[in-house]
Amino acid sequence: MDILFGSLAAGILLGMVIALVALGLTIIFGVMDIVNFAHGEFLMVGMYTGLLTAQATGMDPLFTLPVAGVVGFLLGVICYAGFIKFLIRGPMVAQLLGTFGLMLFLRNLALLIFGSSDRTVHHGILVGKSFEIGMGIILPATKLAAAGLSVIAFLAVWLLMNRTKVGKALTATALNAQAARYMGIPTEKMNALAWGIGGASVTVAGALIVNFWAVNPFMGLLFTMIAFAVVALGGFGSVPGAFFAGLVVGLIMEIPGFWDFFTYTFDWMWMADVPMTSLKYMWIYVAYFVIMVVRPRGLFGWKH
Amino acid sequence: MAFLEVQNLTKTYDGLRANADISFSLERQALIGLIGPNGAGKTTLFNCICGHHPVTSGRILFDGEDVTALKAHAMARRGIGRTFQVYAATGDLTVLEKVMVGCFMHTHARSKARACAEEILRDLGLFDLSDDLVSELPVAAQKRVVMATALGTKPKLLLLDEVAAGLNTLEIEEIMASIRHVNKDRGVTVILIEHVMELVMKVSERVIVLDYGAKIAEGSPESIAKDPKVIKAYLGERYVKEQRRE
Amino acid sequence: METLRNAFDFSDFPRMDLVIAGAVAFLFLIFPLFPTSSFAMATMIQFFMFALYGMGWNTIGGYGGQVDLGKAQYVGIGAYTTAVMLIRWDIPFWVSMPVGMAIAVIWSFIIGYPLFRLKGHYFAIATIATSLVLKDLFTVWSFVGAARGLEISPITYPPPDYLRLIFREDIYYYYTILGFFFLGFIYMNWFRKSRLGFQLRCIKDNEDMARSLGINVHWAKIKTYAIATAFVSMVGSFHVCYIKVIEPVDIMSLDLSILIALMAMLGGAGSLWGPIIGAGVLIPLRSYLKEWLGAAAGLVGIDLILYALIIMIVSAFEPRGIWGIVEKVRRRKRR
Repeated sequence: MDILFGSLAAGILLGMVIALVALGLTIIFGVMDIVNFAHGEFLMVGMYTGLLTAQATGMDPLFTLPVAGVVGFLLGVICYAGFIKFLIRGPMVAQLLGTFGLMLFLRNLALLIFGSSDRTVHHGILVGKSFEIGMGIILPATKLAAAGLSVIAFLAVWLLMNRTKVGKALTATALNAQAARYMGIPTEKMNALAWGIGGASVTVAGALIVNFWAVNPFMGLLFTMIAFAVVALGGFGSVPGAFFAGLVVGLIMEIPGFWDFFTYTFDWMWMADVPMTSLKYMWIYVAYFVIMVVRPRGLFGWKH
Repeated sequence: MAFLEVQNLTKTYDGLRANADISFSLERQALIGLIGPNGAGKTTLFNCICGHHPVTSGRILFDGEDVTALKAHAMARRGIGRTFQVYAATGDLTVLEKVMVGCFMHTHARSKARACAEEILRDLGLFDLSDDLVSELPVAAQKRVVMATALGTKPKLLLLDEVAAGLNTLEIEEIMASIRHVNKDRGVTVILIEHVMELVMKVSERVIVLDYGAKIAEGSPESIAKDPKVIKAYLGERYVKEQRRE
Repeated sequence: METLRNAFDFSDFPRMDLVIAGAVAFLFLIFPLFPTSSFAMATMIQFFMFALYGMGWNTIGGYGGQVDLGKAQYVGIGAYTTAVMLIRWDIPFWVSMPVGMAIAVIWSFIIGYPLFRLKGHYFAIATIATSLVLKDLFTVWSFVGAARGLEISPITYPPPDYLRLIFREDIYYYYTILGFFFLGFIYMNWFRKSRLGFQLRCIKDNEDMARSLGINVHWAKIKTYAIATAFVSMVGSFHVCYIKVIEPVDIMSLDLSILIALMAMLGGAGSLWGPIIGAGVLIPLRSYLKEWLGAAAGLVGIDLILYALIIMIVSAFEPRGIWGIVEKVRRRKRR
């Protein structure tokens, strides 16, 4: 039973952070209808930023979030203004391959600068500490803080989108770019802003994740696919959708834990032979496929 | 037995009734106009008849067969062709190639498809444009090419959706001639959606009028032009009263 | 027999194109007779392989306009089938390759049916998802060697072995892949003029209109996807006989899928020459960049960075590819 609760807790905590990772993707897609394959690379940039800032300044990793946010915002805006802006004029083939190019570029740039080995955070107030609640639930302090901060960031973005004038302008552009333009909303600036906010949310998520997940230049793809699965489930363009879908995907990532639970509970030894841990990411891809075929709109999506 | 019979056709989208209980029938080689203000549900009706969208309720009988449930490509194979109002050409195909696609419905051989396409293009006076890219043609020619493409499938019934939109007077005359030719000489039954009144009124034997999804009138062009319900739909109550005063 | 005549009929191309193509084809035939380095020969073999990969992709991605970024899984199926059949049951290449194609095509129909209900980005991501799933499965499946992969050792099968396609000198591989290349090319010429080819181009233009012309869009896409799969699996089988080592992480990787798509996209998707031009530019570029830059200490990854930049620039500013530029210039001259 302990395994079950432990996995559930881990999944939910992870899920909240995953939700933040996916948030950027859904905003960009909602406003601009372009899919950013380099999304995971943005995350990676956030992770390196968080790590290096903490190491350089001796600050606690959790305080590096604003730095990561700024870097992410700039990265998003620069990508838009310098590249994406031109990309969207072309056919879809080109757009997809273009953002792939961006992905390769960022990934190999990181490889060049940082080398291929894993890096993790070693110092910090919360590193290595955890809370034991009983029933087998062990909450590592870093994950707990990350989850909490994710929720706060989520709320911040939600408030921004729904309560501020800028946010409403963004939503307007998302719903109907041309109409928004006629209303005097500058589409170009909205697009850049979407990329900025999108970039910032995912780099902040990165700075959070690096507290409990090692970073290397190649991890981008996995998180890009995770983000896609979340956005597909939650509905492309939906902010609350991303949150709930994030939780679900977080739980999916804990499948090895659930699998162990079922193995011991039902005492079917064949289950122990299945290398579920190696396959745990596979379920995310399967989930994406199944969702898109069965319910393309996702849970809350309004755009398809 | 009518050639095309539409019985109580209703189509709802998320609570909006785009087509409400529409019924009419056509004989072979008829030339019918379908008019009505914007948003009356004309294109939706087309979409239902040719299987593009499923109907919410009602029946469609074509050439003796109940085709209500058939999908678009199956309808095409039964002999219903159509043109589209908005044609965004991504510009890869030449005129000849485009018409050949239609012709390929009846043959697997490229040579036969090509011969069929060339014949249609000659018939509509478009043969000289064979090797031009469709996307680079002027609007009037594009519309005729789209009609030619639909003809490639050798349809028994052709639904023309606003083929005269954006054309000047001379071009309208040309397309009117093409439509008459297709109907009389090639024996194709035609329903046309139009806003260009001079075309519809001159060319149709009968006119059906839709408003807010329902059929409000049907008859000869002359009687429709005087029908107060039709005038009200297009111009509003005031003009009906003015008409009566005359 | 009109089919065969069509396959060899190039008359709708301008004279100059055909002359150049003929000359190039001739050069391909006599290339090994020149004293070139083994590196050059290896690059040429790679070129033909990727030209074929690109041609296959071009059917569904270029003519059909459906961006498929999961072709690597079928490369893997082809390669693994050949490798497994050889290692376990000593079955020669000429049998295992068609079997591999058959398995790949069957799998492509199974995924294709639900897959083509999606469009655009969603479709593209789904193709990636399926490819990654297969890769992960192969990484844990002991029957195919799991993560370590499989190796064909030339010691067991003394070269030259024509049945099993094990050779010591590259020249045998060269002419084999060249043969496939010509076959593939002729096939593509037939394809673009075939009923399915026309249907696809119409689908790419406007799907609704295609339906109204009696085309079963879903089925046409699935059929074409299967054709692309067959191409790619065939080359995969060759790959394993040539390179003799395969691992899931390389042969079913997303990078390979992107590379395959890139051949046609750079050269000109939807045209006959496109994938060949694309491969002709990218493969030598890739090989020589790796040679010159990769060797220098601490510069690992720069070749890939340049590569990525090329992709970005082409997609943003000339999405129709090299052949697209040629056609644009020609059309302007015609006016």
